[in-house]
Amino acid sequence: MLQFENVDKYYGAHHVLKGIDAKIERGEVLVVCGPSGSGKSTLIRTVTRLEAIQGGRILFEGRDVAAADSNVNRLRARIGFVFQSFNLFQNLSVRQNLMLGPIKVLGLSRDAALAQAETLLAKVGLANKIDAMPANLSGGQQQRVAIARALAMKPPLMLFDEPTSALDPEMVQEVLQVMRALADEGMTMMIVTHEMGFAREVASRVWFMDHGQLLEDAPPARFFDHPAHARAQRFLQDVLRPAPRAAMLTD
Amino acid sequence: MFDILHDHLALFLVGAWPHGPLGGVANTLVLAALGLVASFPLAIAVGMAQVSPWRWLRTGADAWTRLVRGIPLLLIIFWAYFAVPLLVGAEVSAFTTAVCAIIVYESAFLAQIVRAGLESLPRGQMESARSIGLSWLQSMRHVQLPQALANMLPSIVNQSVSIIKATSLAYVIGVPELTYSAAQVNTITLTKPLQTFLLLAAFYFVLCFTLSRFAGWMERRIARRRLGLA
Amino acid sequence: MFDLSFLLEEGHLTLLRNGVLTTVRLFVVSGLMASAIGIALATLRALPIRICKALVVAIVEYHRNVPVLVQILVWYFGVPQVLPEALKLWINAGNTEFFLAAVALSLNSGAFVSEDIRSGLRAIPYTQHEAAWSIGLTYLQSLRYVILPQGIGAALPALVNQALLLFKNSSLAMAIGVHELLYRTKQIDNLTFRTFDIFLVATVLYLIGTLALMALAEHFAKRRTAPMGV
Repeated sequence: MLQFENVDKYYGAHHVLKGIDAKIERGEVLVVCGPSGSGKSTLIRTVTRLEAIQGGRILFEGRDVAAADSNVNRLRARIGFVFQSFNLFQNLSVRQNLMLGPIKVLGLSRDAALAQAETLLAKVGLANKIDAMPANLSGGQQQRVAIARALAMKPPLMLFDEPTSALDPEMVQEVLQVMRALADEGMTMMIVTHEMGFAREVASRVWFMDHGQLLEDAPPARFFDHPAHARAQRFLQDVLRPAPRAAMLTD
Repeated sequence: MFDILHDHLALFLVGAWPHGPLGGVANTLVLAALGLVASFPLAIAVGMAQVSPWRWLRTGADAWTRLVRGIPLLLIIFWAYFAVPLLVGAEVSAFTTAVCAIIVYESAFLAQIVRAGLESLPRGQMESARSIGLSWLQSMRHVQLPQALANMLPSIVNQSVSIIKATSLAYVIGVPELTYSAAQVNTITLTKPLQTFLLLAAFYFVLCFTLSRFAGWMERRIARRRLGLA
Repeated sequence: MFDLSFLLEEGHLTLLRNGVLTTVRLFVVSGLMASAIGIALATLRALPIRICKALVVAIVEYHRNVPVLVQILVWYFGVPQVLPEALKLWINAGNTEFFLAAVALSLNSGAFVSEDIRSGLRAIPYTQHEAAWSIGLTYLQSLRYVILPQGIGAALPALVNQALLLFKNSSLAMAIGVHELLYRTKQIDNLTFRTFDIFLVATVLYLIGTLALMALAEHFAKRRTAPMGV
C-alpha cells in the first residue's frame, strides 16, 4: 500500500533521509523506532507531503504522492495523520472537529457526519465529551479525539507521529489501547514511537532508523530478541519498557 | 472654554445638520466606522497573502504594505482625490474620497494586525487542517481566521483609535468632520483660538482614550476566558 | 511612459528641491528635539516622585489620543494667543510656521519616544540590576553603564519606527503653510496640472526616506533576536 523508493531528503546541507527503501502492505502495523534525530518523524511526514523529498519516490496505492497530476488534498483525505501535539482545532468543539473534514472534504451530509462522529467518539471512549472544547480536555483525551478525527475521514492508512510522547505517563495507556484496538480491526498503520512494549505486542514489523538510514526491518520477535545491527542492540538496551497493561477504558 | 462649548455644541457634535450635511463628532465617527468596516475585507486578503505559501503573493502583499506605510496619509488622500473620480468616471464627494483613502491606508496597517494574528497561531493548527484534506483556503476559513480574529480584537480596537485620529486629515480636503467644525467655530469666535482648539483636542481625547481603555478591558477579558476563568 | 521634463522648466525643480530640503530640516530638527524631550520625559518618569510620574503620564496620554494635525493647530492658532509680546515678536521674526510645527512635532514624537525608552528599560531583566549592584556599582552607575545602554538597544527598533512616523508627519505642516515637500508638490500641481507625474515624484521621494528607515528598523530588529544572555 505504501512504498518508499530510495527516498532522500536534505535540510540544506544536512542529509536527513538516506536512500530509504521499504514498503508497507495492507493490514500491517509498522512501528518505526530509533534514537532522536534519526529521521523517523521526518520520514513519516514525507508521506503526506508535510515535508518534501529531494530524491526517490513515495508511492501510495501505487501512485507517486508527488506526481504533477496528484491532488495533495485528496491524498491527505485518504491518509489519517495523528500528531505528537494533537493539534485539535481550538476554535471548534469536539463534535465540530470531527465533522469538519467529512462535511467539507468528503461531502457528507450533516446528519451522516454527526452519526459517524458519535460512533467514533464512543469507540475511543469519549462519547460524553462530544460538546467539549479542546482546551477543557486532558492530553490523553485530546489525542483520542485526534485519532477519532483522523478516522472520520475513513482512511485506508493511518500514520502516527510519536502519538504518546507529549502525554503525561498516566495517560499513555489510554491512547495505546485505542491504537491497539484499531490494529486488531486490521487497519494499516505506520507508527513512530518510543513505546517498545507496545511495539513488541502489536507491530507486524519493526523498522529501526539511525542517522537517516533504515538499518533494520524485521518482525518484532526477531528484532527484540536478536537485533542484527550493533546500533539497534545499543538502542534497545537504552529504551526497553514493559508491555501495556490490558486495562479497561474508564472514561 | 465652556462658554464656547455651550454656544457651539451643535456645531461640534453634528456640524450643520439638520440644515446641512452631517458634520462634527458624528461625521467623524461615521467616517471612522465606515473606513474600518470597508477596509476589513482588503486587510484580511492582504494579511492572508502575507502568510500564504506562494512567494509571488507574499512579495506582492509585502510590496503593497511597504508602499502604503511608506508615504504620508495626506499624500494618500491627495492621490485618492485625484484618482477616485478618474476610476469611477464621475464626481465624488470629499467624504467618499476620504473613505477610499482610509481603506487604502488601513489595508496595510490592519493587514499587519491580521498577519500577526495568523502568525501567532501554533503551526500545528494549519498542519492538522491540511492533513485531513482541507485546502489552504478552507483551512484559513474554518480554522485559522476564526481563531486569529478572536485574538486580534483588542488590536483592532486600538487600530480604530488610529483611524479616528486619521479622520482629522479629511479636514484638509473639506470634509465636514470634527476638526472642520472647530475651524468654523474659530472663525466665528475669532478671539479665543486657544480655547477652541483645546476644546477640539479634548473631544478627540475623550473619544480615543475611552476606546483605548475598552481595548485594554477586552484584552484582559480574553486572557481570562482563555484560562477558563470567565 | 511619462515625461518629467516639466520639472526642468520655470524653476519647478527649485521649488521641489526646496520642499525636500525643508522636509529634511523639519525632520532633523524635530527629531533631535524629540530625542531630548523623550529622554527627559523617560528620566522624569523613572524618578520615584508621584507628581513627576503623573505629569509625564498626562503629557504622553494627551499626545497619544489627540491627532497630530490637531496638535499642530493648537500650537499654531492657540499658543501665540497666550505668549508674552516679546516672545511673540521673536517667533514672528523667524519662520513662525516652521518653528511652531517643529515644536508640535517634537512634543508628539518625544512623548512616544519616552514610552519606547520606558519599554526598552522594562525589557531588561531585574537580574541585570542585581548583577550590577553585586559588583558594587551605585544605582546611577548601574543605570549609566549597564541598564541604559541595554535599554536603548532594546528600544531601537521602536525608536526607528518613531523616526519613520515623524518623517511622514512632517507632511502635516503643510496645513499651516510650511513650504515642505507636500506643499511644494501641491504647488507644482497647481502650476502645471501634471498631477499624476508630480504626485508620483513625491511618492518616490517619500519612499526613499521611509524605505531607508524601514530597512534600518529591520536591521536592528534582527540583531535583537538573539536573547541577551544572563
